[in-house]
Amino acid sequence: MNIAGESLGTFLARQTVQAATPLIMAGLGELLAEVTGVINIGIEGLMLMGCIAGYAAAGISGSGGVGLGAAIFAGMGTAAIFAGVTVWAAADQIVAGAAVNILAVGASGLAWFFYQNAREAVHRSVSLGRHVGFQSVAIPGLSRIPFFGPMLFDQYMLFYAAIILAVLIWLLLHHTRTGAILRALGDAPEACQAAGVSVRTWRTGAVLFAGACAGAAGAYLSIMRTHAFASDMTGGQGFVVLSLVIFGRWTIPGLIAGCLLFGGINSLQQILQTTRYTSHSTLMHALQHIPFEFFQMLPYVVALLALATLSRSSPGPRYLGQAWRQ
Amino acid sequence: MLSIENISKAFGGVQALNNVSLAVAPGSVQGILGENGAGKTTLMNILFGLIRPDRGQIRLNGQSVVVRSPRVAQQLGIGMVHQHFKLAPALSVTDNLALAVGRNFVLLHRASFRDRIAALARSLHWAVDPDSVVGQLNVGQQQRVEIIKALLGGGKILILDEPTAVLTPQEVDELIPAVRSLARAGITVIFISHKLSEVNRMCDRIAVLRRGELVFAGPMGELSAEEITHRMLGAPSALSSLGASSASPGLVRLHLSRVCCPLPGTRKYKPLLDNIELSVRAGEIVGIAGVEGNGQTTLIDAILGSLPISSGVITLDGSDLSHLVNFRRARKFACIPEDRQGQGLVLSLSLTANLMLRSYRNPEFMRLGLRHVTAWRSRAAMLVRSFDIRCASVEVPIQFLSGGNQQKALIARELYGNPPVILAINPTRGLDIGATAFVLQQLTAARQRGAAVLLIHSDLDELLAISDRVMVMYAGRLLPTNWPAVDRAAIGRMMMGITPQAA
Ligand SMILES: Nc1ncnc2c1ncn2[C@@H]1O[C@H](COP(=O)(O)OP(=O)(O)OP(=O)(O)O)[C@@H](O)[C@H]1O
Ligand SMILES: [Mg+2]
Repeated sequence: MNIAGESLGTFLARQTVQAATPLIMAGLGELLAEVTGVINIGIEGLMLMGCIAGYAAAGISGSGGVGLGAAIFAGMGTAAIFAGVTVWAAADQIVAGAAVNILAVGASGLAWFFYQNAREAVHRSVSLGRHVGFQSVAIPGLSRIPFFGPMLFDQYMLFYAAIILAVLIWLLLHHTRTGAILRALGDAPEACQAAGVSVRTWRTGAVLFAGACAGAAGAYLSIMRTHAFASDMTGGQGFVVLSLVIFGRWTIPGLIAGCLLFGGINSLQQILQTTRYTSHSTLMHALQHIPFEFFQMLPYVVALLALATLSRSSPGPRYLGQAWRQ
Repeated sequence: MLSIENISKAFGGVQALNNVSLAVAPGSVQGILGENGAGKTTLMNILFGLIRPDRGQIRLNGQSVVVRSPRVAQQLGIGMVHQHFKLAPALSVTDNLALAVGRNFVLLHRASFRDRIAALARSLHWAVDPDSVVGQLNVGQQQRVEIIKALLGGGKILILDEPTAVLTPQEVDELIPAVRSLARAGITVIFISHKLSEVNRMCDRIAVLRRGELVFAGPMGELSAEEITHRMLGAPSALSSLGASSASPGLVRLHLSRVCCPLPGTRKYKPLLDNIELSVRAGEIVGIAGVEGNGQTTLIDAILGSLPISSGVITLDGSDLSHLVNFRRARKFACIPEDRQGQGLVLSLSLTANLMLRSYRNPEFMRLGLRHVTAWRSRAAMLVRSFDIRCASVEVPIQFLSGGNQQKALIARELYGNPPVILAINPTRGLDIGATAFVLQQLTAARQRGAAVLLIHSDLDELLAISDRVMVMYAGRLLPTNWPAVDRAAIGRMMMGITPQAA
């Protein structure tokens, strides 16, 4: 069976990576923040802020780059509020993260409303011109490799950035003093303090970085993979990121594996949804009787099962979720 | 030359240090003695930049320096090993050391770290594996990592705050020559301990603090042991006045029969309990001697039910404990645990709350289902008075009390109210001579009242001083002794695994 001129396998592989890209990007930031002891369940909200900021800024400026910059900035800005409340004022991280999610729904809805009005006032279309958003970038030569070419080397720019970032963060965490500090922040902040490292400043840095990553992941959703904004477009992916960080046991390879697994199941369910009406096989016919919500639910069920079975052995950073008061 | 000049520091109403001046020569080992809360740790924290003094200054080689932070201390060559370690247990030795020295955002040169660690470890005759994870090292090895950490950045002054409190006697015997060799290499060591014998073997000069004031500074040997104790306390030691009891023990209260724990192969890091037979009767103290790590902690965990046993029975007053839920079971014992900060106390709660943790459900401490504030306060005040806990206020979080006073608070809570069965592990760890005598007296008094006391203690002299029966724990097995018919040396040999027949 072929889809869009590709074999099903190649198509699925490419879709998998496309679906995994925002999860990897946001996951890298969240992983770093959690390693230092700060859990931000507001990651969903940060992504949503990135979606709207990226979309609106790209629409107004006519430049995808400006959109991406705005998304990163919006993610960091919202994360700064979170950092102020949790790291500096020592408020409960879960409560503050939930507040960030609620705040983001309101703020992004409001921004969307103003954006639409502003566009209509100047008689411009609300939707992005196709040239404004990002297109996928095929790397010459490499993208021609069968199967792996389309999967790994014909992707959006943010995927390449995420992979480079993943390697850099892995090096940073495991082969530099900075990494030792970051890991110690979540394991024994008093050891950091004794080493003359400011626990709060460093944690703030990690939270801001996570905000930037989540913002970029949001921009990916609104101006790269699609060129549209919808108020529910993150669709729980921020929460999936949280579970994937745990699933990967706070390691970068584990996180990426989890993201690909989730992305794969998600793409598979989309393919099943679209092909079951066009295919002639009896299996596909049988699948027609299952409501499509079931397929939408599948990746989350798998994520839950994986969490329940795999994450028990590793408790994670000792001080995860605990404020540092000195 | 390090000189401390006219340092004063007050915490709230407590004058922790009052006009203290002290000069320490390079290449010497300076002992600091003083009872709990005398201000030893505070003085060291000031040297290390963790606390700013109210008044006074510090001079290094004649130059006045302001130690604003631990980072600055490090740059000045001052390293400190804290009473409670500051290591990240999930990180490797190298990573923990990298935390203390080195630059950010550049790749670590692991080979050079390895060489430096190896060189330091060799000069101290230690074996330290740079790749092992700190949390899997035992306390003695962790301390070595701390000492290496303090010296790695080219430290010239090494502060050791009660380093021996967490060590087994064997480890202490290894630490002393290492410290002496550091001093020979020109490093100034400041050594805090409550044990005169250790100070005697380790130090060139001593200083005695008493309630924040320096009452003596001079060469080791200028004062006799009695004089030193007298300066520290203002009263002679009371340890000698404790005798074994003549009270005849009553019925068996706690009984362990053929207890094995846990299944072989699981939890490798803890020694197994191997067919433990033990009974503790009302009105007696059963002492368990042994080098730490031979199963003592497992034994207590098994009794309290926090570790499942694989076979055998544990009974209290004849009834099997196995069907009780952990917390109900634990409530039947008064327990002074090994790790006071982790298990015994809630560091962020006030002294009052910590003192009330056992009895807050008591009707007399509740009013309308809420805490009875005045009753709490008066009980806390009473305990503070009768156990001589030194603190700025009963409402301060207990983490701000000195180590010894934290221990006293724990003991006050557990021993108050005539508990029938007492489990105590190293109850005098970190206590000064006076407080040690006081705690031992409390235990003997509990025995006199008819309590059954199981005492696990790494200080053999104290253990022998108050125990009616002595057993030795070695490699998960519990061996009876004929104490007091056998001598101390024979027990020491059994602790090393040499059985009486073989010896
Ligand atoms: N951060 C703090 N806040 C309030 N009081 C404090 C603080 N640190 C120390 N103190 C008080 O200062 C006094 C001196 O404490 P310090 O820890 O220096 O004693 P120490 O000599 O080290 O005793 P120990 O042998 O028990 O460790 C104690 O009364 C203690 O309660
Ligand atoms: Mg102290």
